[in-house]
Amino acid sequence: MDPQREPVLGSAAGGAAEHVPAPRDSLDREEHLIRDAVLRMGSLVESAIRDASRALVAHDAALALDVIKGDAIINEAQRGVSRLISATIATQQPVARDLRYLLTLDHVTYELERMGDHAASVAKAVVKLAPEPPLKRYVHLPEMAERGALLVHGVLRALVDVDAVKAREIAVEDDEIDRLYHATFDEVVELMRQDPANVERGTRIIIASHYLERIGDRATNIAEDVVYLVTGDVEDLNP
Amino acid sequence: MVEETPLNAAQAGSTLDTPVDDRSVAVPIVPSIRIATEPGSGRDGADTRGETVIELRDVSCYYGSFRAVKDVTVTAAKREVTALIGPSGCGKTTLLRTFNRMNDLVPSFRATGDILLDGQDLYGKDVDPVAVRRRVGMVFQKPNPFPKSIYDNIAFGPRINGFRGKMDDLVEHCLRKAALWDEVKDKLKQSGMALSGGQQQRLCIARTIAIEPEVILMDEPCSALDPHSTLQIEGLMAELKREYTIVIVTHNMQQAARASDVTVMMTMDTADRAGYVVEQGDTIQIFTNPTNQLTEDYVSGRFG
Repeated sequence: MDPQREPVLGSAAGGAAEHVPAPRDSLDREEHLIRDAVLRMGSLVESAIRDASRALVAHDAALALDVIKGDAIINEAQRGVSRLISATIATQQPVARDLRYLLTLDHVTYELERMGDHAASVAKAVVKLAPEPPLKRYVHLPEMAERGALLVHGVLRALVDVDAVKAREIAVEDDEIDRLYHATFDEVVELMRQDPANVERGTRIIIASHYLERIGDRATNIAEDVVYLVTGDVEDLNP
Repeated sequence: MVEETPLNAAQAGSTLDTPVDDRSVAVPIVPSIRIATEPGSGRDGADTRGETVIELRDVSCYYGSFRAVKDVTVTAAKREVTALIGPSGCGKTTLLRTFNRMNDLVPSFRATGDILLDGQDLYGKDVDPVAVRRRVGMVFQKPNPFPKSIYDNIAFGPRINGFRGKMDDLVEHCLRKAALWDEVKDKLKQSGMALSGGQQQRLCIARTIAIEPEVILMDEPCSALDPHSTLQIEGLMAELKREYTIVIVTHNMQQAARASDVTVMMTMDTADRAGYVVEQGDTIQIFTNPTNQLTEDYVSGRFG
């Protein structure tokens, strides 16, 4: 889908003539290719987040290692999309909305790649945690991960629909992830106070929850990109 | 496309349960773009390209004793758009006109080296230049429809060539291919010269197609047209290249970037004032990361 174009209406006095823009086939086609590649990347990132969470809950080191390996694919995808965007900007000379769209997509792939890294970092913590029994049943972290994955999905939907209202709503939902992070922090610190044997596991859990919280922040960054795309203004949705 | 995973946590379990193997990516995440020339793969995914149609080896062009173009080795591949770009006077039009022997019309002109069309020497002793121009058509900078009806503009060439089929069908076919049919179908008897600039140029393209060439040469086909008509012609080129090989000379670099698959960068040697080829490469590569500094400077608008 193209970035929304609003028809320019002529004045009532002169007769309202609806201006329908002509397609620019090559540019439109390349924009679609790039957008679809970004969405496929988003799918990979969602899976990585959920897999890292599953690996954590089950203390499954093998699954965690798969997530770590899979991050290379996400990184390569980001490089590929960036190259595509460069090529399109160089050869199609987009301006105005077309240019903002491509610049937005470039930034989105950067944020998605970093989210992939964060999921891999969670998986790395799982690899270290896996040999021992869990400190406590994991409740907040899987919820943070699931919310993070849903945010990624939601914000990419807002991007496809070029929907700034939706984007702002998504940004608000990140607050819940932040709340869960703080709750985790307090809970785990208390467990570490109670018994020094808990410190190593506790620290790794806090690190993992920090990365899950960062995933939420990055989804909010993408939401800001969508707002920029629509309005041309940079708005801070995560003060 | 993003899969329609339901947006509530309870049903999201279906994604959590998907085994790892099922998510191995069968479809490449990022579509490939041609950075290096690969036979048979197009910039926009078109296939069956890459075969060489026009080949020049060590070609020099002389007007009398003056060497206008020196030591050119280039190729144009089947069903690709090859653009010749470069500053004024670098010999790109001279070179283009060797592809259909238009330079024969200049008495002092002489070309050395190998100029091959489908592997055959275009300037061989037994080669009929008129036959060459049937296989290699040309569209010029200033649209030049015949002072005839739209219909006769298209019918003229085939009639001369002894066309025996249904002329009405041929005329419609060519006008449709040139994206002009809808605009002129009710006024085929009107003069071709009464059309707008963009329409006249499309009429010239339709006229060229009517003789069923293999190659269509275009010498700055849009420089007399407004931006909208220009983009329209470029859209037409993208369609035409499915069937025809196109070589275009343009001083509009952005057009070369938008519309071509391969770009040949030429310039003039200030010492002997002969044009030469600086670089030939994939258009995407020429405009994102050219090999030669001169090319980089030219496409960035830093010289020429």
